[in-house]
Amino acid sequence: MQLPSPDIRPKLSSRARLQTDKVTGKPIILYPEGVLMLNPTGHAIVTLCTGEVTFQQIVDNLAARYKKPAQEISPQVAEYLHRLQEKNLLEMQGATEPI
Amino acid sequence: MSRPTPRPFSLLAEVTHRCPLHCPYCSNPLELAAQANELTTDEWRRVLNEAADMGVLHVGFSGGEPLQRPDLVELVAAAREAGLYSNLITSSLGLTRQRIKELKRAGLDSIQISFQSDEETLADRIAGTSAHAKKLQAAQLVREFDFPLTINVVLHRGNIERLEKIIALAEKLSAERLELANTQYYGWAFKNRGALLPSREQIEYATQIATAAKQRLHGKMEVLFVVPDYYSDRPKPCMHGWGQKHLTVSPNGEVLPCPTAHEIKSLRFDTVREKSLAWIWRESEAFNRFRGTEWMPEPCHSCEFREIDFGGCRCQAALVTGDAMVTDPTCQFSPHRKTLTEFVEVSQKESAPFSSSADEITFRQNAGK
Repeated sequence: MQLPSPDIRPKLSSRARLQTDKVTGKPIILYPEGVLMLNPTGHAIVTLCTGEVTFQQIVDNLAARYKKPAQEISPQVAEYLHRLQEKNLLEMQGATEPI
Repeated sequence: MSRPTPRPFSLLAEVTHRCPLHCPYCSNPLELAAQANELTTDEWRRVLNEAADMGVLHVGFSGGEPLQRPDLVELVAAAREAGLYSNLITSSLGLTRQRIKELKRAGLDSIQISFQSDEETLADRIAGTSAHAKKLQAAQLVREFDFPLTINVVLHRGNIERLEKIIALAEKLSAERLELANTQYYGWAFKNRGALLPSREQIEYATQIATAAKQRLHGKMEVLFVVPDYYSDRPKPCMHGWGQKHLTVSPNGEVLPCPTAHEIKSLRFDTVREKSLAWIWRESEAFNRFRGTEWMPEPCHSCEFREIDFGGCRCQAALVTGDAMVTDPTCQFSPHRKTLTEFVEVSQKESAPFSSSADEITFRQNAGK
């Protein structure tokens, strides 16, 4: 998969809401007609989608957290962001061209 | 031994049956709840909190027209406080700038507006009142206040040939979801089904248009279209199974496994005025009657699809065959399938509804106070 530009800043869409599930205690994203249950890695990525953190910074952050090389992490982050985008749950800020 | 009780995910809060529209396919029961029997603000607050504690994540405020409730903003605020994602399912009549501002502030998450057609004359004839122009204005407000917008259009013989223009309208209004909902034949729609059921040619045409639009608009607007039951070989997996994911609370507090469950006359529904929502979900006769697969008679009981479609729709079985227990008559394996097929053939010969030659439509009325 093609990687997004390193300086793009993903932001969780205003139509989505990140909260803790009352039953499982785990993080979820609610959006029209849907819910996404997040695993710990997904949650770590989503909490960085503030519109202020760049793709590169998200990758570096996760690489440090999971003690893995950035090259290994970055396609996984890209894949996850792509899945959120497919569900129309992300806005890409600072995008010069559609990714 | 029975399985553990499933977790409910969505609640349809039918806060009133009152409605300024008179659509002849309304899914409300023929016997509408009177205003005097509607749950109070505090009773709805309790329902919303109990639902959230049970695991419900989504609440749809519906009716009737939910904007007829003066306390709607308070109910939305209560839903937000309980952590529910809220959707307002509305005709949009009564959605003023002031009201939408208050709803936004209260934490409403998304809005779904119904349209009857793309064009005012026909749309207003279907709604039985002047509504279309107001809906266009309301849709603008929804975008202005940055709500996700779903447009829902109920399709029938009288508007299905306008499908391309209906899709174009949804695009123009920047909807992010478009539900092209073929009429479900319950309640008022069942009464009028002879006039509303589209022809086979109309369904084939509409399926092509919808499929093309789905592809063309991918990533921009989600388009939903399902072939109507009467033209399908397999029943729909109704509510993803009885008492599995969903509950409906009607205006007077009765709790239903699906919005049209009133069609099943042999069921008695408990109300939140007498029992907790959790008890009704877990223990009540109505929720356990068709839960799982053990209740199923043949041909469902040994059918390989029983965990896929759950025997189809109980309300449809009750309406068409008089017995809520039997296989959904839309199923190709149902001994009653021929009843529906014959009905489809007969209704093909009828004229289009909402034209001067058609006078056999019953418009939906309102209940007394």
